[in-house]
Amino acid sequence: MIRPITAILSRNLLKLRRDRMKLFLNLFMSGLFLFIFSFVIKSTGPGLEHPLNYLISGIIIMTVFQSALSNSMNILEDISSGFMKEILVAPINRWQIATGHVLSAMVVSVIQGLIIVIIGIFMGLNIGLMQGIAMVGLMLLVGLTFSALGLYLATLSKESSNFQLLITIVSFPLTFLSGAYIPTMALPGILLPFVYLNPLTYTTAAFRYVALNLGNMNTAGLVKAGVAFNINGFIITPFMSILLIIVMSVVFFSLCVSRFSKADFSRVKTFKHSH
Amino acid sequence: MKTNSIEVKNFTKDFGNFTAVNDISFNVEQGTIFAFLGPNGAGKSTTINTLCTIQEKTYGELRINGHDVSLQKDKVRKDIGIVFQESTLDGKLTVEENLKLHCAFYKVPKAEVKERIDFVLDLVDIKNRSKSTVDSLSGGMKRRAEIARGLVHFPKVLFLDEPTTGLDPQTRANVWDYIHKLQKQKNITIFLTTHYMDEAEICDQVAIIDGGKIVAHDTPANLKKRYTVTTMKIKTSDPDSLVEYLRELSIKYSVENGQIVVHATGTKDVLAIITKFKETIEDLEINKGTLNDVFIAITGKEIRE
Repeated sequence: MIRPITAILSRNLLKLRRDRMKLFLNLFMSGLFLFIFSFVIKSTGPGLEHPLNYLISGIIIMTVFQSALSNSMNILEDISSGFMKEILVAPINRWQIATGHVLSAMVVSVIQGLIIVIIGIFMGLNIGLMQGIAMVGLMLLVGLTFSALGLYLATLSKESSNFQLLITIVSFPLTFLSGAYIPTMALPGILLPFVYLNPLTYTTAAFRYVALNLGNMNTAGLVKAGVAFNINGFIITPFMSILLIIVMSVVFFSLCVSRFSKADFSRVKTFKHSH
Repeated sequence: MKTNSIEVKNFTKDFGNFTAVNDISFNVEQGTIFAFLGPNGAGKSTTINTLCTIQEKTYGELRINGHDVSLQKDKVRKDIGIVFQESTLDGKLTVEENLKLHCAFYKVPKAEVKERIDFVLDLVDIKNRSKSTVDSLSGGMKRRAEIARGLVHFPKVLFLDEPTTGLDPQTRANVWDYIHKLQKQKNITIFLTTHYMDEAEICDQVAIIDGGKIVAHDTPANLKKRYTVTTMKIKTSDPDSLVEYLRELSIKYSVENGQIVVHATGTKDVLAIITKFKETIEDLEINKGTLNDVFIAITGKEIRE
């Protein structure tokens, strides 16, 4: 039961290792943001104790998010190249295929996140062992959530390459409205409703809470630090954010598996041999 | 007792208002080669896709080794190997990696994987390229790698959807050698679609499908006997008595460039004519009907558009 899943997992990882350009390009964006926003945050950081750490933690989790979403969509390549057919006629269950793909996107996204963590450590990010474990745990959870979402969306679209572009266009503003790069407190008030509706806001907040080790801070301090939110008197604590991520991961994963199991891939256009 | 590897009863497949396959039935005996012959869009791929469990039927009963393709997908999938019309290898992986992956999917015992991969790559003669990525192979080698992969889990029934399309004649001939070698070694059943008549010629049974219906199903020899005539081109010093003889027996004929072209219905006519006019025949050319003629006679069109 496990062998097909691990086979898909190791195949996807092998492909990524061979496609180093893709790996590099993914990380390049994160590095660029780290570079640019480190200047921005130093000048405008609203009274943050460790502005650089604040930024790095946001970039780590956004790297995981972006990478999970885009890597899970690699399945579109399998569909258009015809390889999907080979998997579909094999004596394995659809849920195993979906799980294999979600897991590989998750693993890749966490590896990419960890690379940013290492860069962060060199830049002065301080993390203890238990804290590091908690961070990896959260990264795995976030990776799982958005890999599942990505696969779900890819299964819906099946063949459209424009769809992939659409995802990028939609996810990009979401990362900016999550407080990852620019603290939510620094955003104009008119954007706040979008910030609160954005699931990435809570993803960032929960991760930052762990990465910056803010366990000793009181609620007012947490709200001020942008890891808890006071929405008309209702306080969303970091724990509620973590709970929300867990709920999202369960919802997206079930959605993706059930959708994938029912999808008809047989009529998707593939490239024929050249005659 | 002879058993059937493939049983299809009243199979119908609709796509919305369009009926791709319309109430077809046929059986394929274990250990034989069965060819599905038809123009593009006739319903060949739809039938293969349904037999291979990647498409649902609209109506009918389809079984592979007694397993229902809709209800016992896993058992069916374990028993079959498929070589699709389009390439379904992972181009970025090596040949060996593709086959290993396949073994994992089909639960080939880990201890046997290496041995089996060697065996099938040997069979199709690309063992020396096992470490090359698929993208770096020529079209013919890709096809052979694809066939090797379809065989590595030792299927009982092998589906080949246009296995030699796009290959040069030399490679086509080789691929067929492999198919025959394999069929003998493993006694597997082969179901293939093709629009090459010469390929259908060497199969045990041929079904011609047109517009979603099976319009003929028999051995190639019987089909030719039933649907084609033997033409004789005769140059004779005494055309008048030959013509008179043909009229008498109401055998069709025509005159082309001073030669008489006789459309004989069978060997009997041919022999009779030769025996009777052996003194006056100066030149003779006999053409037996081909499957292509059968196809044109039945469907009224050429197979390749």
